[in-house]
Amino acid sequence: MLVPIFTLKLNHKINTRMLTIGCYDGQHPCLTAATTAGKVFIHNAHNRGIASGRMSVSGENSDISLLNIQQAVSAVSAGKLDPTSNCDSLLVGTQTNLLAYDVINNSDLFYKDTPDGVNAVVVGSLGTVEMPLAVVGGNCAIQGFDLEGNDAFWTVTGDNVCSLALCDFTNDGKMELIVGSEDYDIRVFQDDEIIAEMTETEAITLLCPMMHSRFGYALANGTVGVYDRTARYWRIKSKNQAVAIHAFDLDSDGVPELITGWSNGKIDARSDRTGEVIFKDNFSVSLAGIVEGDYRMDGKTELICCAVDGEVRGYLPASREMKGNLMDTNTEQDAVRELSQRKQNLLLELKNYEENARLTKFFYKGRAAAQSNRPSGLGGLDTGQMGIIPANTQLQTSLTVDPGDEKHPPHVELFVATTNETILRTALIFAEGIFEGESHVVHPNVNNLSSELKVPISPPKDVPVDLHIKAFVGMKGSTQFHVFEITRQLPRFSMYIPCTKLPQEPQGTVTFTVQERVQRVVLWINQNFLLTDEWPAAAPLHFQVVSLRGTGALVIHMESNGQVTIKTDDMDLAGEVIQSLAVFLGIEDLQVTSDFPGYMEELKNILIKVDEFSSVRQKLTAEMADHSNLIRSMVVRAEDARILADWKNMRKYYMELFDLNRDLVNGYKIRCNNHTELLSCLKLVNQAIQRAGRLRVGRPKTVVVNACREAFKTHNIDALFKIMKVGAS
Amino acid sequence: MMGTMRQDFGAAAMALVPRGMDPLYTALSLFRRRKFEDCVTVCTMLLEKNPYDQAAWTLKMRALTEQLYVDEVDVDEEGIAEMLMDDNAIAEVARPGTSLKKPGTSSGGPSPGVRPTSQSGRPLSGFVRPGTQGGRPGTMEQAIRTPRTAHTARPVTSASGRFVRLGTASMLSTPDGPFINLARLNFHKYAARQSLAKPLFEYIFHHENDVRNALELAALATEEAQFKDWWWKVQLAKCYYRLGLFRDAERQLKSALVQQVMVDTYLYLCKVYVRMDQPLTAIEVFSQGLEHFPGEVSLLTGIARIYDGLNDSTNAVKFYKEVLHHDNTHVEAIACIATHHFYTDQPEIALRFFRRLLQMGVYNSELFCNIGLCCFYAQQYDMTLNCFERAIALASDENMADIWYNIGHVALGIGDIALAYQCFKLALASNNDHAESYNNLGVLEWKKGRVEQARAFFQTAQMLAPIMFEPHYNFAALSEKMGDLQSSYIAARKSVESFPEHMDSNSLLKQLKDHFAML
Repeated sequence: MLVPIFTLKLNHKINTRMLTIGCYDGQHPCLTAATTAGKVFIHNAHNRGIASGRMSVSGENSDISLLNIQQAVSAVSAGKLDPTSNCDSLLVGTQTNLLAYDVINNSDLFYKDTPDGVNAVVVGSLGTVEMPLAVVGGNCAIQGFDLEGNDAFWTVTGDNVCSLALCDFTNDGKMELIVGSEDYDIRVFQDDEIIAEMTETEAITLLCPMMHSRFGYALANGTVGVYDRTARYWRIKSKNQAVAIHAFDLDSDGVPELITGWSNGKIDARSDRTGEVIFKDNFSVSLAGIVEGDYRMDGKTELICCAVDGEVRGYLPASREMKGNLMDTNTEQDAVRELSQRKQNLLLELKNYEENARLTKFFYKGRAAAQSNRPSGLGGLDTGQMGIIPANTQLQTSLTVDPGDEKHPPHVELFVATTNETILRTALIFAEGIFEGESHVVHPNVNNLSSELKVPISPPKDVPVDLHIKAFVGMKGSTQFHVFEITRQLPRFSMYIPCTKLPQEPQGTVTFTVQERVQRVVLWINQNFLLTDEWPAAAPLHFQVVSLRGTGALVIHMESNGQVTIKTDDMDLAGEVIQSLAVFLGIEDLQVTSDFPGYMEELKNILIKVDEFSSVRQKLTAEMADHSNLIRSMVVRAEDARILADWKNMRKYYMELFDLNRDLVNGYKIRCNNHTELLSCLKLVNQAIQRAGRLRVGRPKTVVVNACREAFKTHNIDALFKIMKVGAS
Repeated sequence: MMGTMRQDFGAAAMALVPRGMDPLYTALSLFRRRKFEDCVTVCTMLLEKNPYDQAAWTLKMRALTEQLYVDEVDVDEEGIAEMLMDDNAIAEVARPGTSLKKPGTSSGGPSPGVRPTSQSGRPLSGFVRPGTQGGRPGTMEQAIRTPRTAHTARPVTSASGRFVRLGTASMLSTPDGPFINLARLNFHKYAARQSLAKPLFEYIFHHENDVRNALELAALATEEAQFKDWWWKVQLAKCYYRLGLFRDAERQLKSALVQQVMVDTYLYLCKVYVRMDQPLTAIEVFSQGLEHFPGEVSLLTGIARIYDGLNDSTNAVKFYKEVLHHDNTHVEAIACIATHHFYTDQPEIALRFFRRLLQMGVYNSELFCNIGLCCFYAQQYDMTLNCFERAIALASDENMADIWYNIGHVALGIGDIALAYQCFKLALASNNDHAESYNNLGVLEWKKGRVEQARAFFQTAQMLAPIMFEPHYNFAALSEKMGDLQSSYIAARKSVESFPEHMDSNSLLKQLKDHFAML
């Protein structure tokens, strides 16, 4: 049994996920967390007695110092930004800024505007960049700042970044950046190139590096799991949300466990291999964060868990004598319970067999009497009860595209059927990211049971999905059923149906050349699209499909000389096609020429809007500052009048103050709206850059993203469009 | 009626233009000679003739601006409102020696027992600048009361009060409406013409004191210049600074420094950091500035001032000496070094510095008072009273009390208790809030055995200057003698609070604690 070695009450609320620990003076670790009212507090347990003068007599809370950020804090992190010193720097992110702060000297290292917001911050060395970076994830953009505040790293990602982690994904000794975003994707960046993408089922709220290429993750729907590179080791799902995950070797076996803090106040430690719980504890309220550090300054690293009410518990790793047995339970009792459970199961099984044997005996007696000629040799009365079905029963599945009609929207249809007269009682389909809650149960009414089932599926994204189907097969009226398990893969582009005549010729085009035969591309088409017949491999290839999602047509045309033209109005789709094709054909670098007139027009409008919002914002800011100056002086005057007992004037001032205040609040609302609009526009711009990047592969992709950024920064809109079209300015 | 007035006006202007001289040339010459009023008159005449004369218009603007120009870098004081209501500083309780907010926390600073403190607990500086007098009051009431009682006028806010007073344009009466109607100006048009935009900006900023419009013009102009003109960036920063948007100001100044290194920009940037209570960052910025401008006096002074503010007098004096090395007529440096020497018990050296000040033409009562004190402590008694006589002769109402108080000290030093008593009374006559005099009077009364009187004096002093430790300690000692142990304990605690290392207070406190423990 593992018990906390220390507990503390900090008496400050801690915002969830905004907890870190840093040695700001190079020696003493300090818990640092964001608290209410735009403040960050630093708890320094070892400060007492060091400070002389007035510091030490400032009450019982003298070990907590507060930092004013003056804005709602959105991320807090600490780490070594300066490779030459051993002191940590504190990084505080808000929706508009990032502050790097030297706590011990009370001075800024840098203060940067981050118009894309700061949703997550990590500090560390990244890839081939020499200096340690503070990597900031915002709305669709990722930025890395070095010690001087230069942005040494910049890239875009598909959606708002929720979580970041640095992990040696490729086992090459250099850190890769793992990014979890709101579009359910985990992306791995090696420098500024994506080397892996994993699709999850919800927004990825937390990521933490574990050992080597292993990392833990948590989703917004309460899932927690561990990946090793792109392969998922395990995952578990809870109805509570994970608010903190951390890798820590709690049982001293040399391998870190995944420590999870839940929103209901539970913490548990799970083995990284199996997900088996090896330790758990309870807080009274939700966890806020988990960190590790030598908080008692005795040379041992503790696991430190903090709850939102400011309760802190520290755990030392268990000694070797405990042999990983950290739970508060008796092993013998456990064993007895487990054995009795098994006994129960075996008894049940035995009963089933006995029943079977009895019936068979009964049947042989019956056959002797009635010479019945039932095919599988079973009595009609008994088959129902027993659930015996023909031995050659098979489950067949097929996937077809249904263009839909007035009643049904277009969808992919999964058809499940048995090969004989047996019926399907229930079908359980498990697939990630298609159904809400990941699984779907079809349970037809008793009266219209049949041997086939149709399940409409509409995958929201173009990703290949494994459908795990479990079907209950039996006879009509049986109470016991056989379970058939089958796995079927849904191809990536399943929501597209071939057509000969296009409703409307797509405007957008992407052109590029590949050194491949047409047959290979046809092979890719056959694998990735849901086609009733295989597409003929003839040059020139002309392949036309229409999206069932209503986003228009997609035309893939390939000449025998390897020139490929993709026509679609959906830039995302074009990107998906190119990425998938490049992976299939093993293309490392691909430069394309693209033209999306409609989209570009839209982007132009957005950019104009961004300019407008920025200028309005500046005006509003000045107005607000002016007003607040006025308010301040008014307050002083009013107070002055109060001290002088000049009630008439005091009343006058306070009346004016009230009016001004109302104006200010109104102004604030306008500013808020303006800011949200601006933010959404900036997000769209970032997404546009990302889309332009996804049309390319490898080196050209990185080049295009960086060039776009440069063009956007210098307000060179024409250059931006040109880069998006041809890949360079 | 109006017509004749105007004619008269024109005639007055014509009188300024010599025969055969081009009026615009005359106006320019008047401007050069800093005869701004006359320049404005001539320009007005020119504009009367041709309202679209851009040269005359610009010149008039500049002349009007020059009349009211104040150096933004030097003149700055935090207003009461900012002090109390703003949290620009990041750390609320910073490590000692890293914040200007709590100057008393620095270790290694001069002890208040040796170097007296100002009303707010900051050690007396050798040179009075905005911000050296006041500290940070704890409450609004204290903040409002202090400027009324003490002789420090702190503006209500830095954005309103002072600039109405200094930038007097808003007070000046303009005979026929304002020169430029800002509401009707099309800023876009002017922003495009750099030669017009710059004087116009200065006019709006200094003369009209309309920061919001100035900011708008600057923002447009910097955009027009494709964000490549450092001057506009500095002006933007000025506006932001006035509006209290320090982070924006910081960004603009840093960006301006990238394009063009200027002493002024460095000074501004440091001002911003001081406002954000990051003295160490400010010192670093000053040092960066010194790399580009080695030996630049204003930068060195800036560093010295910050060290002074941090109570790190050793470093402050080091930098003041450096200043003197480059500019041997720097009054502030000389005064600060002199004060430092005086309070480190070297009155002879201090005297030499003060004499240097006198040679340089500084001729005021404070200086004579200081010289008098130095003479006294250097045992040149013949000069002492002469100096004080001069000081009194030159004194204004504001510093009369201090001079009488110092004479009282001298009297105490020579053992003339009666004279001392009279001096302190005189000090109180000229300023009845002089806490130090109350305290000393209390001591004298106690010596005479008039205990109740003494108590009353100490209590007054305590109330007037809660930061001073002496009245607290004296009161504690007196109460202890009288047997009022409770009051004694409370006062001793306060004394230790404002001067933790004070031996007598500590021993008194310990004695009281032992006593209480025995009970």
